[in-house]
Formats: sequence, C-alpha cells, structure tokens
Amino acid sequence: MRNWTAGRRQAIRAMAGFVAGSPLFGWQQDPFRDHSRVPKLEELLTGLDFEPVAYAKLPRWAYDYTAYGEGSEFTLRRNRQAFDWVRLVPGAAGSGQEPQTATTILGTPAAFPILVSPTAAHMQLHPDGEPATYQGATAASQTPMIVSNVASVPFEKIAPAAKGPLWFQLYPRQDVESNRELLDRVQAAGARAVVVTVDQQASVYERALHDRNLEAASLRRLTGGTRGAPRNPYRVPEGRLWYEWKLFDQLRPMIKVPMVAKGILTPEDALLCLEHGVDAIYVSNHGGRSLDYGPSSLEVLPEIVDAVRGRVPVLFDSGVRRGSDVLKALALGASAVCLGRIPRWGLAAYGVPGVQKILEIVQTEFKQAMAATGRSTLASIDRSLVRTDFP
Amino acid sequence: MRRREALFLAAAGPTIARSQQLAGEPPGRIPPAAEIINASEMEAIARRRLDSAAYTAIADTGADRAAFDRITLRPRLMVSATNLDLGANLFGQPLFAPILAGPAGGQNRFHPEGELAMARGASKAKAVLIVSERSSVPLEKIAAESPGFWYQVFPEAGTTRAKIDLAVKAGCKAVCLTAGAGGTLHWAAIEGMRKDLAVPLLLKGVMSPDDARAAADHGLQGIVVSSYRGVPVPGMASPIETLPAIAEAAGSRLAVLIDGGFRRGSDVLKAIALGARAVIVTRPALWGLAAYGAAGVQQVLELLQSELARDMAMCGKPNLAAIDRATVRLHRR
Repeated sequence: MRNWTAGRRQAIRAMAGFVAGSPLFGWQQDPFRDHSRVPKLEELLTGLDFEPVAYAKLPRWAYDYTAYGEGSEFTLRRNRQAFDWVRLVPGAAGSGQEPQTATTILGTPAAFPILVSPTAAHMQLHPDGEPATYQGATAASQTPMIVSNVASVPFEKIAPAAKGPLWFQLYPRQDVESNRELLDRVQAAGARAVVVTVDQQASVYERALHDRNLEAASLRRLTGGTRGAPRNPYRVPEGRLWYEWKLFDQLRPMIKVPMVAKGILTPEDALLCLEHGVDAIYVSNHGGRSLDYGPSSLEVLPEIVDAVRGRVPVLFDSGVRRGSDVLKALALGASAVCLGRIPRWGLAAYGVPGVQKILEIVQTEFKQAMAATGRSTLASIDRSLVRTDFP
Repeated sequence: MRRREALFLAAAGPTIARSQQLAGEPPGRIPPAAEIINASEMEAIARRRLDSAAYTAIADTGADRAAFDRITLRPRLMVSATNLDLGANLFGQPLFAPILAGPAGGQNRFHPEGELAMARGASKAKAVLIVSERSSVPLEKIAAESPGFWYQVFPEAGTTRAKIDLAVKAGCKAVCLTAGAGGTLHWAAIEGMRKDLAVPLLLKGVMSPDDARAAADHGLQGIVVSSYRGVPVPGMASPIETLPAIAEAAGSRLAVLIDGGFRRGSDVLKAIALGARAVIVTRPALWGLAAYGAAGVQQVLELLQSELARDMAMCGKPNLAAIDRATVRLHRR
C-alpha cells in the first residue's frame, strides 16, 4: 500500500499511472490485431499480400465491410475455390514475342483486359477516397475504373482527379425518372459506360449485423440508408424487391453510352438482357455478396458465354486475385475482368501507390501467364487453354 | 473522503469501465435475443445456457450439412418480389411459411418451461409445432398455446392408437408416426392406426422411394423424409439427397415433408425445389428454447422464414408455387 499522505506531485504521478492503465484508455488499442511492422510497398509480391496490410491499417468494421459475403459466405468461399477447378494447360513456349494485351472494351481503350469493379465508399479505406483509387488506376496503365453509385465522393469530383477512362455504376431507383438527373450528370462528367447493378435484391451481411450489434455507429449509417423499411411480413428489406426487366427499356433512352447489366448468373437471364437492349453482360455474384449458396461466377461463365454467342461482350468479376485468374476467365470466354477487393486492399494499405502497385502486379502476372502458356495475343486465348473440373 | 482518494476510486470505477468498447463477443456474454443473426449463433448461446449432458443431446452434429453444400441456388433476376408470399397449405391447414418446428421429447431438459415455451414461441412465429408423445408437459396445455399443433408418436403394439386418439381429442391437426426408432413397423399395424382417423397420418423416417410408394398404397396422406432411426449411421445418405427420388415416387399421392440438418433458409428453398412441401426444423428451435425460452424459439424460426423469403426473392420466386427444379443445381461434390 502506498502512503497516501505523500505530497501532491507524487499523488498526481501515481494517479496518472493508474489512469493510463485503466479501461478508460482501452479504446486506444484495437485488440483484434497484433502490432507488427507494416511492410514497405516494395516488399509485397502478390495481390494477396496486401490484404493483411489493409487489415492492420483499417478499423475492424471497415475491414469487415470489404471482406464479408452474404449469409454464411458459402459463395464467397466458392468464388476462390472455383479458380482451383480450372487449370491452365501449358502450350508451346511461343514465339518469344511480348504478349499483346491491349484491347477495347465497349469503346473504351485499355492496356489490359482489366477494369476496376465498382465498390462502395472508398473513404472508409483511405481519407482520399475514390479520387485516390482513380489516380492509382490511371497510373497503372490507365486501367478503366467503374465508379460506384455509392461512392464517398460524387462522380464529378472524382473525374478531374486523373485522366484514365471512367465508367459509372447505377443502383436504379424505382421512380425511373429520378435516375435521369444522375445519369445526365455522370455522362456529362465523362462516364463512358453505365453499369446497372440488378442483383442484391434482398441481401444481408451477417458480419455487418455483428459489427452493428457491437456498436459501430458508422456502419449503421452506411447500411441503414437506402433499403427501405419492410412492409412484408417476412422482415425482408423492401428497397430493391421491385426490380423488373422493363427497367432496362426505361433506362435505355437515358443512357447514351453503352449500358451493362451487372449480376447475371444464368444463361436465361443473359438472353433476357439481350432482349432488353443491354450492350454487355457482366457476370458477377457481387463478390459473394448477393445470394448465399449461389454459384461461383466462374463456374457459370462458360454456359453464359455459350448462350450469348458473341453478340455482346461478357465482363466478369468475383474472386479474381491473380493474373492467372484473369487468364482463366478470359479462356472461359470473358472479354474483360474486373477487380473489386484488389484495388480496395491497395488503397487501404498504401493509398494511391498501393492501388497502382496492386493493379500492376495483377497485370504483370497476367502477361507472365500468357507467356507461360504460349499465348501472345488476346485473340489466341480460348477454351483450349484450360481444363475445367467444376463439381 | 478526500478529493484525491475520490479521483482514484473514480478512475477504476464501473462508470469508466463501461466506456471501454466491446471488441468481439466477450466470453460468456448472453446478448439480447434480437442480436442473434442465424441458427448457428443460437446454438452457441444454448451451449452457454446448458449443462453438458443437456447440450450434448441437441449439439449440432453437422451430419447432414455436407449434402447442402453440394446444392447451389440459381439466382434469377428482375422478377418483382414486392408481393412476396411464403404461404403454404397442408391438408387444408394454412401455413404462414413452409417451416415447422419439429418434435423432441422432454424439453424441460432445455428450459424450465419446456414444451410450453416451445409452443408459445412457435405460435408467435406463426409456425406449426409438432409435439412429441414424450412431452414433459400435458398435451392440453400445449394445445392452448399452439392450437394448430401436430402430434408425433412411436409405433408400439396396442398403445399407439389410444395415444393418437387422445391427441386428436386435444386438437392436433395431423399425426406423424416415426418409423424405425426402436420398434418394428408393420404395414398392417399402420393401417390399424389409420383406420377411421379424423386427421391425416404421416410416416416419418422414409428414406427410400419404395417406402414412399408403400406408404401411399397403404393410404397414408404424407411422409417425412428423415434419417432419424434412433442411432445415427455414419455414411448413410442425407435426407436432402434422397428427396428427389422419393418425391418422384410419391408423385401427387403424398405430401412430402423433410427434416435433417436444416439450418438456413436456403436449405428450405432447396428442399422445396426438390419436391418437398414443407421442412421440419428441430434442433434450431431447441437451441432457441434453451437460449431464450419462447423468445428464442420465435427468433430462430423467424430468422429461417426471413432467410427463405430473401433467397426466394433473389431466385426470382415470389411464392412457393413458382419454385421449380431449375431453382437449384446439384453437384457431384
């Protein structure tokens, strides 16, 4: 026991020590991570290396928002497994030529058949938000970026940040006319295509509910907004239950640039898209965030490509982490591949240079995979390049 | 008390301790029932509430889960689901959703109110409850809490029909006869139980198309595809795997129900797509009972209903009649 009759200075010192160790300052420490050193950007060799760095730098709820999938996350896991069910068949060593990777996607030139997927709220990941992602993408050989409808920064404020091509992603609103003003704005600001997302009619992220229960008010703000209170007796969020095919017919005259339907996972729906004036099919299960126990995007890609028969380009995302994954998706018929979590990890981990580096890693890996399989042009990439063993 | 003493006390006091943010689920905390997000979480809370003997009786064995992982759903987009309807009808009885709470004996092992709380919770969730003949609470009391209940019996020479008649008198809407567990089942005996019975009789424990055909031939109104035979047999097929062939054999002659490892709304959707009229969930309801009594039963059943409704919406099936074989894809592994 201390002698509490000691002088004032001594008492203050003891008090300070006691308070510092009290739960009052518990908030300063995040018990979810150890306190290891953050590696230098140059030390990271693959896209997968960025995730632990992003994890270390982000608050728990922001990391979770990027990481999680719908429901029990079966589809989230299957997205990655699916790439193990496709093996690349090595071809002749090739001509020794540098692989030619440049292409044009719906009129947008690209050095690689790779785009940045639309993902929400980049300011969660980095204070500079979407403008930083855009600068990083542009620095990585002008990779086209699809700006999310729920970006932290308005499209017009992102557009001046760099020079690369931008597309816009729309979550359509039920009063179809109310989409017009937004679509006019983004097209005037330079959107070269509009991606209409039509999955996620009733998705719930269980990890987000957890984080919400555990207090993260910031997430409550993020997820509470747009969905609408349930009127049905099954407690299903109402916001997107109204989706119907005629939406594309109604949106068509408002969109002067190519219109893409995102979230297609069946040949039936792909054919219906064609009937409704869609310019490209975007095969995606929203990174495992739409329907739990839905298929991986990769396993349904071939049947959708077969149904579309080359009439429109087929874009692809969900689960792509490596350049070889890009090559596999192209071999199964995708015209281009989009990356969602990859640039998010880059942004969260290192800001602009992180986005640039992580995209360049995937681009380089893609080129290496082309060379290793003896394909020197995109046109030469076809199904003979892969052996599939989907379950 | 002097000022500096008061400051020392305050720094370590509970007021300040509360300002610490909770990070993850602290060990042993029982959150409010509304914070439970899925059936598996309910199991974790049940585990905290129960002694090991009671918990072991209802622990999730995971036995039939792998089969569900070999079935994927096929999302169909752009079908309006603003008029979402999970309503079903079994033997003239309207169901709010095709999910029934299954039978289990001696539920006072899991909650002091036992079957009464189970009945109250199921009723609140608008779900039909199947009451075991080994209930720890008299049937009349359960009937008062859950009027549309069903009754489950084991076949025993001589006594079974008397039990069934008592249950019918108490108001049960259908009877499930559990095959296999302990006693031997003779079709002749089943006909005796069925004779002049005012409510439909279902055979529970059917795992082959032949049994389904025989059940129809002997005048039963329904079957429950179920692997419950008293002891689990490793390596046996799961009910969801045998369902398509059994549903085909049953045709329109029998109402086909199923149980065995249903933990998610997506599991229910798969069963409906493969020919079941409704699904029976037992362990999840018992986890809810053990965790929070009636409120837990209600919560877990409502979670399953909501999951099913969301999955139906995302598969473009706004009602049960719209769910077809093309809603699912079966995989080899």
